[in-house]
Amino acid sequence: MIAWTLAYRNLKGAGLRTWLNASILSLVFVLILFINGLLDGWNQSAKQDSIAWEFAAGQYWAQGFDPLDPFSYQEGLKDWPQSLEGTPILWRQGSIYPDGRMYPLIIKGIPAQQELLALPTALLAQSQAQFPALIGHRMAKNCQLQKGDRLLMRWRDQKGSFDAQEIEIAGVFDSPLPSVDQGQIWVDLLSLQAKTGLENKANIWVAAKAKPQSVAGANWQELEVLLAPINKIIEAKKGSSQFSYYILLAIALLALFDTQVLSIFKRQKEIGTYISLGMSPKEVQLLFTLEGGLYAIFGLFLGGLYGAPLLYYLAQNGIPMPEMADEMGVSMGKAIYPVYSWILILKTSLIILASSFLVSYWPARKIARMSPVAALKGKLQ
Amino acid sequence: MIYFLLKGIWRDRSRSFFPILVTAMGVLLTVFLSGFMQGVFNDIIEQNARLETGHLKVMSRAYAELASQKPNDLALYEADSLLAHLRQEYPELIWTPRLRFGGLVDLANAQGETKAQGPANVTALDLSTPSLGEAQRLNLQKSLYKGRLPEQPQEVLMGEEFARRLGIELGQSFSLMGSTMEGSMSFRNYQLVGVIRFGVVAIDRSSLIMNLADAEDFLDMQDAAAEILGYFKHNSYSVKQAKIIAEGFNAAQADNPDEFAPIMLSLRAQNNLGQYVDYANNMSTLIIGIFVLAMSIVLWNMGLLGGLRRYKEFGIRLALGEAKGQIYAALCIESLLIGGLGSFLGTLVGLGLCYYLQLYGIDLDGALEQSNVMMPSVFRAKLTVELLYIGFIPGLLASLLGSMLAGLGIYQRSTANLFKELEA
Amino acid sequence: MKKILCSLVLILFTMAPNWAQTASEIIAKMDENMNAKTQISRSQMVIHGRRGSRTVESRSYSEGNQKAYTEYLAPARERGTKMLKLGDRLWIYSPATDRSIQLSGHMLRQSVMGSDLSYEDMMEDRKMQDIYSLRLLGEEELQGQRVWVLELVAKVEGLSYPKRKIWVDQRYYVPLKEELYAKSGQLLKELTFSEVKAFGDRYYPTITHYKDALKKGKGTDFILLELALDEAIPEHYFNKSILKR
Repeated sequence: MIAWTLAYRNLKGAGLRTWLNASILSLVFVLILFINGLLDGWNQSAKQDSIAWEFAAGQYWAQGFDPLDPFSYQEGLKDWPQSLEGTPILWRQGSIYPDGRMYPLIIKGIPAQQELLALPTALLAQSQAQFPALIGHRMAKNCQLQKGDRLLMRWRDQKGSFDAQEIEIAGVFDSPLPSVDQGQIWVDLLSLQAKTGLENKANIWVAAKAKPQSVAGANWQELEVLLAPINKIIEAKKGSSQFSYYILLAIALLALFDTQVLSIFKRQKEIGTYISLGMSPKEVQLLFTLEGGLYAIFGLFLGGLYGAPLLYYLAQNGIPMPEMADEMGVSMGKAIYPVYSWILILKTSLIILASSFLVSYWPARKIARMSPVAALKGKLQ
Repeated sequence: MIYFLLKGIWRDRSRSFFPILVTAMGVLLTVFLSGFMQGVFNDIIEQNARLETGHLKVMSRAYAELASQKPNDLALYEADSLLAHLRQEYPELIWTPRLRFGGLVDLANAQGETKAQGPANVTALDLSTPSLGEAQRLNLQKSLYKGRLPEQPQEVLMGEEFARRLGIELGQSFSLMGSTMEGSMSFRNYQLVGVIRFGVVAIDRSSLIMNLADAEDFLDMQDAAAEILGYFKHNSYSVKQAKIIAEGFNAAQADNPDEFAPIMLSLRAQNNLGQYVDYANNMSTLIIGIFVLAMSIVLWNMGLLGGLRRYKEFGIRLALGEAKGQIYAALCIESLLIGGLGSFLGTLVGLGLCYYLQLYGIDLDGALEQSNVMMPSVFRAKLTVELLYIGFIPGLLASLLGSMLAGLGIYQRSTANLFKELEA
Repeated sequence: MKKILCSLVLILFTMAPNWAQTASEIIAKMDENMNAKTQISRSQMVIHGRRGSRTVESRSYSEGNQKAYTEYLAPARERGTKMLKLGDRLWIYSPATDRSIQLSGHMLRQSVMGSDLSYEDMMEDRKMQDIYSLRLLGEEELQGQRVWVLELVAKVEGLSYPKRKIWVDQRYYVPLKEELYAKSGQLLKELTFSEVKAFGDRYYPTITHYKDALKKGKGTDFILLELALDEAIPEHYFNKSILKR
């Protein structure tokens, strides 16, 4: 205990130097929390977006249905039990002809009155058009379409007969998810079922509740499995950022090390005094290690002091993001709201504390090898 | 005096070695981290560039309008001379054509009857000219699950899941059916020499990778090219330079009324990447800013400590009659010299390290436990002009500032107390 | 007045079945004219693309509706490509791979040689009367000829085109125009036939212009260069063994 008190007093006495070291460590602390929080927030919002726009609580896929294989849409279909809560989606291959050029896509039928997914399907119900359809903004850009445009769409009914009709773009929605936007068009389920002769049929059932009852002829897709690719990408991002803030931490530790070396060098007389007063070299070593470690504790405290309101503010108000290239396959909203977990805060604190103690201990080992007499005299060793 | 001070620095290693080392280390880390952060933030951009956009891309105007649909029928004609022109005119870039198209893979049994079929997405790269670096760009070697890269004509790679579904083995041949750029039926036989796994289901399930020459033959695209991608040599993409090149190229074509005349688009202009490029720049500036600040504090601290350490020496010098101002000036110049020397060394080594990492990257694959090869865990630094001063100036100023602050103590000392202090 | 109206209605009523009968008669006569027992032809397909046109030449052998064999003659790249249709099966042989590939399902919906024609369009081999119910819409003048306008509505399910309209030349019982419609009534494809020539006692249009009504573009021309009718075709032409080099 006496070592703690002494160390604290020594640091307080050192004034400016203490503040410098502590503030660097606090910067590192806050930055690590910020970057990790940002990525966790991104991850969380990407997942939330996926849940809101695409997956809900999980999905049933009709036997034989495979979203990556367009030829499976014809066979991977089924009637769904009435008792099931959620939203059915019917997938059909088709093409649209913007400006007279064929553009193959997937036509997705979804109940216009559904509220489970964030897709603005109410626009389909409100539209006065004969055959209203929704597209995402990426699709709108690729095909140079906008709200109110009319164009021809062609598909085949369940038996294979061609059908074609003019559709009207009832709305262009702005989804962070390319997977509900690119290469597809959304229409009312009932009208698609009627037009294709597939009454009551759908390929996918988006479940409202995560508790799957087993449905004959369908496979339950766990939400975690559907979300796995997002985790993978965020993990990769975390890897690269980790590397950079470890360098940052290394700089802070360098400063600390530097301080320790010089303070041991400068305070040899003091060390000698301690020893001659009866402290063992081990105890002196402990004292200096504690001093170094205290920098980190001050740093964490300081970081908490200004970091907490700052990080809280960012978490509340979000960090605005540019419109992202979607090629990465992870959605990015208009803003990212960082998320800081207790584990993250604890882990970061521990890393900084442990490394600071280690770096402080390193130069302090020298003390044990000092001759007390020479030290007392202040002779350089 | 500078000579004298330099001599001092050289002779008194305790006064010089450690400060120079720390300054150098600090500057090195600043330079290195800045370069690395630039690289990390450019990661997504570079990823896009490698897979899709290039740093610059040349297409026909008609093709560019519908680029997302890969309309090979609207490809550039007389591509060979265009390619030669590009390579001669813009030697700072590597120019390489790529092709993408769809087809049907048909695997035969011993009797020549269809055994399995599957739709394929074909990507064609110039793999026969290693200096173009296409295999590295798409990380083919590392994604190779088994087998090897194509060397001979008609040798291809296939996605792992695709090969598994077809039930095809290495060394087996299969037919690809599709259409030429003009829409005629096209058939060729290929031999499977390697199976790749990118870790992206959609790609692993349908991708076929072949040599550009094979694809040109298949699509009947001799002397035609869908997309010619340009990559700055040494991976050094520069927004400004790309813009200048693209504008210059397009200006030369401005009077050409042909809808199939070539048009050059920079990475920025493709796929909404512009905003992200800006964003990445802002973000890395912010982080580098914080870093430089932190580093400055370290170096300042260093200078400060250096000054404090030499308390006794200054006392003696004062006692010997040197003017306070003179000592202060000497201290400052000395710190400038030390800071300069350290910063110079740090910048030099930092730049070297960045350059190395720009060329080769660090592979964090083992550390990351992720199998997604499309997003390689090789991180590259990025060499920029800012790196020349981003560490040097703070390194110099911080150590000067530190010494100046520490040196103020000189003025507080009274001659009367000097000898007392020295006796102790 | 009332009497006149009554009799007019009566006439119309009595005429309607008459017309229907005429419609199937017209189609029957058209079939009779055009469906020789065997056909051997040499033809060109001119595909008009966005950057100019190209021509593919081929020789075809067919027997009835079920068997057809086509060999491509030009250009060099296409030369030697063979196509065999037996019933509802279709094989394509390519000399480049020395393989024949059977096309099925979705592959049949692809366009033939980049034209506006799909393989599926070529595969339909049932008689019009069997799959469509016919109705005579009236008479018109087309290409300077009197024509009947017939409407065909699908009787069976799953036809690619649930509705068609055919304009039939009254002199030779040759179609001069055909329109193919989607279920909704949207026009999908348009075929125009011209340059009707006599081959023996039969008449054939020698130029057919195909046009996908949804797509921009100038469509595809099909030009009949030579036609021999009712000549014996050796059986091996309709055997898979023909699909060799």
